Amino acid sequence: MVIAAFNEAKVICEVISGVVAAGWPVVVVDDGSRDDTAEQARIPGADVVRHGINLGQGAALQTGIDYALRRGAKHIVTFDADGQHAIEDVPALIEALGDADIALGSRFLGKQIEGASSSRRVLLRTATLVSNGLSGMKLTDAHCGLRAFRAEAAPALRITKDRMAHASELLRKIKTSGLRVVEVPVTVRYTEHSMSKGQGGMQAVRILFDYFFHS
Amino acid sequence: MIIRVLLLIGLAAIGWFVFLRRNRLPLHIVTVFALLAVAAVAVVSPDLTQRAAELVGVGRGTDLVLYLSVVSMSFILIHYYSKFVELQRKLTDMTREVAILRAELERVAPPRPEAP
Repeated sequence: MVIAAFNEAKVICEVISGVVAAGWPVVVVDDGSRDDTAEQARIPGADVVRHGINLGQGAALQTGIDYALRRGAKHIVTFDADGQHAIEDVPALIEALGDADIALGSRFLGKQIEGASSSRRVLLRTATLVSNGLSGMKLTDAHCGLRAFRAEAAPALRITKDRMAHASELLRKIKTSGLRVVEVPVTVRYTEHSMSKGQGGMQAVRILFDYFFHS
Repeated sequence: MIIRVLLLIGLAAIGWFVFLRRNRLPLHIVTVFALLAVAAVAVVSPDLTQRAAELVGVGRGTDLVLYLSVVSMSFILIHYYSKFVELQRKLTDMTREVAILRAELERVAPPRPEAP
């Protein structure tokens, strides 16, 4: 289980506790946080990898994936640090890897989005449309942070977009590598905290810029 | 004319700056000074750029200079942009390497308490 965290000291301990209680080995990548995210993540017993400087979510996830692979992980699950995902959804993702290489969580495939405003739904739908256009795939949700993939698929899915454009990059790589992909319905719980960390409309423009121009 | 004096002082300043940092290959220095010399000649006798412009089919000498500088500036921009991207990739790789090594080291040898 890979969790990328940036300035999440307030909630990380609780989130990791839930993951550890469910029995998943977990690595937290502290992406150069200015608060005590790393210490808070160690309390429930996570392995913590610390970036000396802030590089972005894409870079942090890839660092966590590298670490997990070096520890011999067979499956990689990415999970958001802000507590928006439900740990109960993880077994379904792993199960879906039985006949797929990568399983993507989808917020629009039946289950609930708790606490999302209608403007947020529109933004997410738009992001999905743009992302499908860029990647040439037909998915119901492009940018859910909850995903699982087999260790063998990791080299083909290597993230080079350091910041937020990694989600679109991932889809493009799935498409070009011909990996088998499935979508699994997941629950997302938007809290005040996760909303404050979420991506708004202006950031969406920045993400598009990153996708085309940045490493 | 005042503008000629100002431009020549600017070119001389660039020359002096390059001369002070002359740890590069002699070829670089020679190239820079050659360019500066061409610029100085253009400042002193603008008719030369005018004639060059007419030769290649541009109306005015100043326009020719402008076009050339826009193109070369764009080259320089692209050059440094790709260097920047490359540097960022290296920085990410290094930071990742250090982070993972440190985490693995802490697993075998837990960190000592910090010195007072």
